[in-house]
Amino acid sequence: MNNTEKIKKSLNKRYRKEKRFRLLSLLAVLTGFACLFILLVDMIIKALPAFIQTEVKLDIHFDQEKLELAAHFEPEELQNANFRGLIKQSLQQRFPTVRKRSDKRALMRLISVDAEYQLRDKLQAEPQLLGETVPIWLLVDDDVDTYLKSDKQFGRVSQKQIAWITELEQQERFQKRFNYWFFQTGDSREPELAGILGAVMGSFYTLLVTLLLSFPIGVMAAVYLEEFAPRNRWIDLIEVNINNLAAVPSIVFGLLGLAVFINFFGVPRSAPLVGGMVLALMTLPTIIIASRSAIKAVSPSMREAALGLGASKVQVAFHHVVPLAMPGILTGTIIGLAQALGETAPLLMIGMVAFIVDIPQGVTDAATVLPVQIYLWADSPERAFVAKTAAAILVLLLFLVAMNGLAVWLRKKFERMF
Amino acid sequence: MTTTNIEQKVNETWGKPFVDNAKISIRNMDVFYADKQAVFDVNLDIAKHEVIALIGPSGCGKSTFLRCLNRMNDTIPICRVAGDISLDGENIYDTNMDPVLLRARVGMVFQKPNPFPKSVYENVAYGPRLHGLALNRAELDDIVVTSLKKAGLYNEVKDRLHSIATGLSGGQQQRLCIARTIAISPEVILMDEPASALDPIATAIIEELIDELRKNYTIAIVTHSMQQAARVSQRTAYFHLGRIIEVGETSQIFTNPQHELTENYITGRFG
Ligand SMILES: Nc1ncnc2c1ncn2[C@@H]1O[C@H](COP(=O)(O)OP(=O)(O)OP(=O)(O)O)[C@@H](O)[C@H]1O
Ligand SMILES: [Mg+2]
Repeated sequence: MNNTEKIKKSLNKRYRKEKRFRLLSLLAVLTGFACLFILLVDMIIKALPAFIQTEVKLDIHFDQEKLELAAHFEPEELQNANFRGLIKQSLQQRFPTVRKRSDKRALMRLISVDAEYQLRDKLQAEPQLLGETVPIWLLVDDDVDTYLKSDKQFGRVSQKQIAWITELEQQERFQKRFNYWFFQTGDSREPELAGILGAVMGSFYTLLVTLLLSFPIGVMAAVYLEEFAPRNRWIDLIEVNINNLAAVPSIVFGLLGLAVFINFFGVPRSAPLVGGMVLALMTLPTIIIASRSAIKAVSPSMREAALGLGASKVQVAFHHVVPLAMPGILTGTIIGLAQALGETAPLLMIGMVAFIVDIPQGVTDAATVLPVQIYLWADSPERAFVAKTAAAILVLLLFLVAMNGLAVWLRKKFERMF
Repeated sequence: MTTTNIEQKVNETWGKPFVDNAKISIRNMDVFYADKQAVFDVNLDIAKHEVIALIGPSGCGKSTFLRCLNRMNDTIPICRVAGDISLDGENIYDTNMDPVLLRARVGMVFQKPNPFPKSVYENVAYGPRLHGLALNRAELDDIVVTSLKKAGLYNEVKDRLHSIATGLSGGQQQRLCIARTIAISPEVILMDEPASALDPIATAIIEELIDELRKNYTIAIVTHSMQQAARVSQRTAYFHLGRIIEVGETSQIFTNPQHELTENYITGRFG
């Protein structure tokens, strides 16, 4: 057997091995993909009901007397007018046989508590409606909503309520519409009113603070350690500690934030500012480690070229090394921020778990963040919150996708600059 | 000649290491990497407007020597330099000598072309911008074009001044690096095997260029090619195991070497 034959024989074996390896790798990728796919599909199916909201059409008579308004009233007085009475009146007219107090109350419970504010807003916008009778679409209560959405399987509705619902249905007084409300409001105890915007803005402000703190500090630290630091035992010690910091459980950072930022420095609790500061501490090691390896990967010949032309060390670092390392730095930053976005534990320690209805307008307003919102809703007993939870998870994923998209775009931009 | 004879003779430099009109003079230079000595007691003058070739076997310390002349070795933490090196009579390792200014006066072209991953224009403009050599855009444009012309590259790149420099061929890149170096008009140019990655045509262009540059600059060039040394240089120094064995007129070194080791090297019996 000569050499060529030997090689040929071994070739077959090598190719078989290669094929096997390729198959296994493909399998690994597919498994990962399948898991992701299942998760996504499951989430989307679960979340769908949250994007739809049922409304009921009631004929409302804007009766000045019923509203408890004087003949001449100031516009502000509308705030305290008895709009609830209008709904009561309308329901009574529709179901005249309901007489018992408890039944009347059950009847009222079909409609969301927010309906009266809807009426108030309507009248404020169109004052000429006073004295008229108009059909108006009002939010239904979440129990009714769940009952209708689940093909009459679930929902805490009584037999009597079912009878009323069926009657209203026969009169085609229900409609389902897209739940834009969900994207416009903050949290609420009433599932039909609860929205995600508060948490989205909370997450946005928190991450903004995290980014503004951790990115410059992290990059500067990495540049210093790689380009300027003398090689000695202190630097080694710092290095080891940074690596250790990356592995510290996040709740510890929360405790630190509580003790230092809130109790000592007096930063307002529950605010994105303190949340962002805590998450910045947590993100820093990730950014430093990623930036250092990106900086290390910049070819020494670039440094020599610039030094050889008479650039100072700082100029070498900021004209050449950092821009060349920027794609890697950005990748590290995004990984760090994505971790921060999903972090719950440290934020519980600094009060971002509070029930907050208002949408934060800045970094010092009390707020909650997406993962905490998910946790809060998942913990709520109302069935309608199941869908809200899934929807919130989808929004979180979207937030992540948007962040990653931004990073990819920035990276492309940086690569094109060179 | 036996080995012991050679050993006895390596401790001093043969030939004429000193000149009258020295641009750079090196006295008793030792270089260490940590504990390991790489350059031993080197004495040499580099004259104004001359091209001096540094030849010798691989690992004999040519690059180390060259990089000490503009303190590029400062970037290697374990590297330590002893002795006197002066540029126009000023000690370059003196505490009040600014390495940034020194490197602007003593430019360097590296073995591997290393253009910045920016446009051709930006590459050449970088140095002048850094040192504020141009007052306005027109002056900068002028410096860039003149430098590219001097490096013999202008005709090839005039249509793509603003496309990325790493897209040029290896030879063009190396000439771009030379253009980049002469854009800040240094007094001395150090070249470490500038043509080692190039084909004969590109090499010839660079050799012509070096000859041209000699009018305005002082040049020290490390090369592995005897022919190149003979073609471009006026003086040649032969390095061996960290020492300068022999230095003299290029024609004399190549036709009538004094030292056994030099002769062995240039005739191809060694190294
Ligand atoms: N950064 C460094 N750290 C430690 N030792 C080094 C370093 N650079 C060079 N040396 C050592 O110094 C000696 C001289 O190296 P140098 O690079 O100057 O040789 P050279 O003559 O340029 O060789 P070549 O012709 O192969 O480029 C070698 O023994 C080398 O191992
Ligand atoms: Mg070398």
